[in-house]
Amino acid sequence: MIALVVIISTVILFLLGQKLYNKFPNPFLLPILTVTILTVIFLLMADIPYAIYMEGGHIIQLMLGPAVVALAFPLYNQRQLIFKYKYSILCSLFVAMFAGLISVYSLLLLFKASDTFIYTALPKSLTTPVAMQVSDSLTGIAPLTAVLVMIAGFTGGILGPILFKFAHIDTAISRGIAMGSACHGVGIAKLKEYGEEDLSIGSLSMGLSAVIGAFVCPIFAMIVM
Amino acid sequence: MNVLRIILQILIIWLFYYAGVLIVEWTGVFIPPSIIGLVLLWVCLMLNIVKVKWIQNGAGFLISFLTLFFIPTTVGIIEYPELSTLAGVLLMLAVILSTLVTLFITGKTAQWIEKKETELEHRKQLIEKEEPIMELSMEQEVMQSDSASRDY
Repeated sequence: MIALVVIISTVILFLLGQKLYNKFPNPFLLPILTVTILTVIFLLMADIPYAIYMEGGHIIQLMLGPAVVALAFPLYNQRQLIFKYKYSILCSLFVAMFAGLISVYSLLLLFKASDTFIYTALPKSLTTPVAMQVSDSLTGIAPLTAVLVMIAGFTGGILGPILFKFAHIDTAISRGIAMGSACHGVGIAKLKEYGEEDLSIGSLSMGLSAVIGAFVCPIFAMIVM
Repeated sequence: MNVLRIILQILIIWLFYYAGVLIVEWTGVFIPPSIIGLVLLWVCLMLNIVKVKWIQNGAGFLISFLTLFFIPTTVGIIEYPELSTLAGVLLMLAVILSTLVTLFITGKTAQWIEKKETELEHRKQLIEKEEPIMELSMEQEVMQSDSASRDY
């Protein structure tokens, strides 16, 4: 019963949020932001624990896996482009991986963060399921990693387009690789607005960097910690 | 009819996801099942084992709702009151800054490599045409006039 209410209300909220965003395409009105904030406010005000909400939430979450699989479709549609730029994509992904790891590690050292927090934050560039598993094996806090992954995603979804404009990063390849390797699902959702080319390179980059990152992250942690 | 087709196509996509789940269970690799499913589906599309029209409506439907499926995870923020302590705020700040740095460095690098790769392709094509000098000098003129007009 609770599950059904959560599912229906989340879907309705999402559809309304999407309508609002289509009318006013402002990054601060991204459905993931408006719906998340409204849900959090409602749960806090009604004093409903996250676990209860997740009775319905985990059913919605079940679709995330198949939805990621579905990204093979835009990937397939752009196959020629991907083969043409395979060196750009692979080289840039390695740059992205190390830029992400080194920058977050040095910032946290500067902020004198605890080892646990460092382990928790290192996999933040990876897609949620991989990030949580890597965080776990590094003795980080896996659910907190999921939240940081979302923050990285929000950063890309909200500030990414502004950064791209400011830094003249204006090709589908560069936007797609940057978003896919740094901001996973949320960033990719934003790429949809640039077009299918951005989206397919983004999803390819997310997939490849998840695979590469699952190996590179633990090795990096072993070297620096 | 259309709804039925979308449901059937989602089932096909779900089968690939399930194949990913099974592979992860059997081999114990720490790659997420969805990524394995994505690669499998992509390979099947490339080899024409799965036809595009078998999945395109279902895939389009799932992708248009991609954001919805993330919402329960993001609501998980509610579970972490320590995020509002100084250490938590610094942790988030580090992630935000690091993400921006990564986006910038990666975007710029990708654009630079892409330019080199395109130039290389272009040069190859020009050599095939056997008119490299003319074409190149014309291009330079265009580029110069382009930057000149931008200056004013």
